[in-house]
Amino acid sequence: MRCKTIFSLLFLSLIFSCFIFGQKPQHFYNVDSEIKVEGTILEIIMEPRYKGTAPFLVIKLEEKNTHGLYNVEVSPGWFFDYDFHKGEHLTIVGSLYTTDGKTQNIIAREVRIRGETLVLRDKHGFPNWRGGQMDRKGQKRGKGMKKF
Amino acid sequence: MKKTGISIFLILFLSGILSADTLTLSFFQNVTDNLFQSKVAEPDHLSNLSFSVDKNFSPFSVFAFGNFSYLFENSDITYYTQDLGLDYLHPLADKTALYFSLTGRGNFYQSDYSDYNYLSLNFFMALKSYLSQTSILKSNYAFEFKNYKTSLYDFLSHSFLLSIDKYFQTRTTVKAEMNWGYKYFLHPYQSAGLTTVVEVPFLHGGMGKGKHPGGSYSLLYAPTASTQDGGEGIQVLSLTTLIAQGLGNKVGLNITGMRQWVLSGENPFVFIQEFYMVENPSYDRFSWEGFQLGSQLTFLGPGNIELKMGYTYSNKEFPGIESLSLDGDPLGVTRKDQRKRVELSVKKDFSSFSLYLSYSFINNHSNDPYFDWKGNFFSVGVSWNHFFGGGK
Repeated sequence: MRCKTIFSLLFLSLIFSCFIFGQKPQHFYNVDSEIKVEGTILEIIMEPRYKGTAPFLVIKLEEKNTHGLYNVEVSPGWFFDYDFHKGEHLTIVGSLYTTDGKTQNIIAREVRIRGETLVLRDKHGFPNWRGGQMDRKGQKRGKGMKKF
Repeated sequence: MKKTGISIFLILFLSGILSADTLTLSFFQNVTDNLFQSKVAEPDHLSNLSFSVDKNFSPFSVFAFGNFSYLFENSDITYYTQDLGLDYLHPLADKTALYFSLTGRGNFYQSDYSDYNYLSLNFFMALKSYLSQTSILKSNYAFEFKNYKTSLYDFLSHSFLLSIDKYFQTRTTVKAEMNWGYKYFLHPYQSAGLTTVVEVPFLHGGMGKGKHPGGSYSLLYAPTASTQDGGEGIQVLSLTTLIAQGLGNKVGLNITGMRQWVLSGENPFVFIQEFYMVENPSYDRFSWEGFQLGSQLTFLGPGNIELKMGYTYSNKEFPGIESLSLDGDPLGVTRKDQRKRVELSVKKDFSSFSLYLSYSFINNHSNDPYFDWKGNFFSVGVSWNHFFGGGK
């Protein structure tokens, strides 16, 4: 009975919230300009990028073959969740845009490093990260095994 | 009428939370042949349904997490967990940032386990700084206060972690970590000089299958002769080293070693129990000393399928816990466990959802025969993310 009540509340809340708060169509991730770049990290910084969001982790990346330089916007959260270092090799999938007519920037959607894939956004460019930045204790219950 | 009012309030409250920027829904189905991780192996299936939402109010964000876990064979310990919190990320410089979070949690079990219902408050603070482009310093502090329905388990704890790493051009990362913690059971002893054992109704699945006190699935609590009224503090210190080696972008290998000491205090329980996926108040990182060695290979396969294989060996002693025979007689030695664990997990990310599959085998050898056990653990799940906001 109690289970039914909990399920009902969750379900109704979800439906209700979807009616009130639909997805806003506006975003700046351009899927048509998506590229894949493999390279080496030159520098890591954290800087404000967008109004209304926490500062972003930005990786300065040197492309493997052409030695072209890119500023890769990762996300606010990954600054704490994953440790990037200068010299590490990684592959970025993301949307390319230029500023000042020459600076190449990538809004990262996916980062592949050390045998892991960090999915930052869905294929439309909507962020996957949780606003709370950190891997909060206890939230991963159910994702595989509890630590023994 | 009152019920309807509460329901409407909850719907509005949850709906407000769900007006978040991101919503994550997860469902996991877990299977084990040894739920209570003991010699009396008891199989069960667990279904986990959870949601997680965030709302960003730069630089703050509000988050909520709910998890409902249903146990098919032991439905009396089905539970629901609700977290609600606030966090804050603040850059101190271009390579240094500070993070805070404050979380309230409620954990509610079905009737037979309801003595272990609790409310908790957690505060977490972390600092991360790049000492150089190849070296990171991290430090964090965590405070936790848990208030159980059965007040014997009430505690507060402090933890402090300091970690430093260095990345070398050979694609090797070396990391060292020091972790100090103090847990204080506020009133684990009912009164000084009490010699009787207090039996708290615990789990009835498999009851009577063994003569060991643990076999009745009752958590026994007994004060020790040296104990006075008041609390019991346990202080631990651990040192960890990690070596991670990248082999291209697709393969990663890491090896970890950890040693933990109990600096003061000991467990106030008669014995320690761990359950699969269900929190037990007698077991956590404060309950043991010893060491742990682990290795993990991560491989990014075709189609971006992530494969992880790991092996862990641990040797743990539980201060204050005396091993008992299967008849319940004291064996005169402190409980000591040696555990080998093999695990394999696969993850595949799609555009807005991820699939997970994992398997573990554990062989736990203990000088307490009741806790000499083996178990298989299998889990499959899906996690779906949705972003409600307007992009960046």
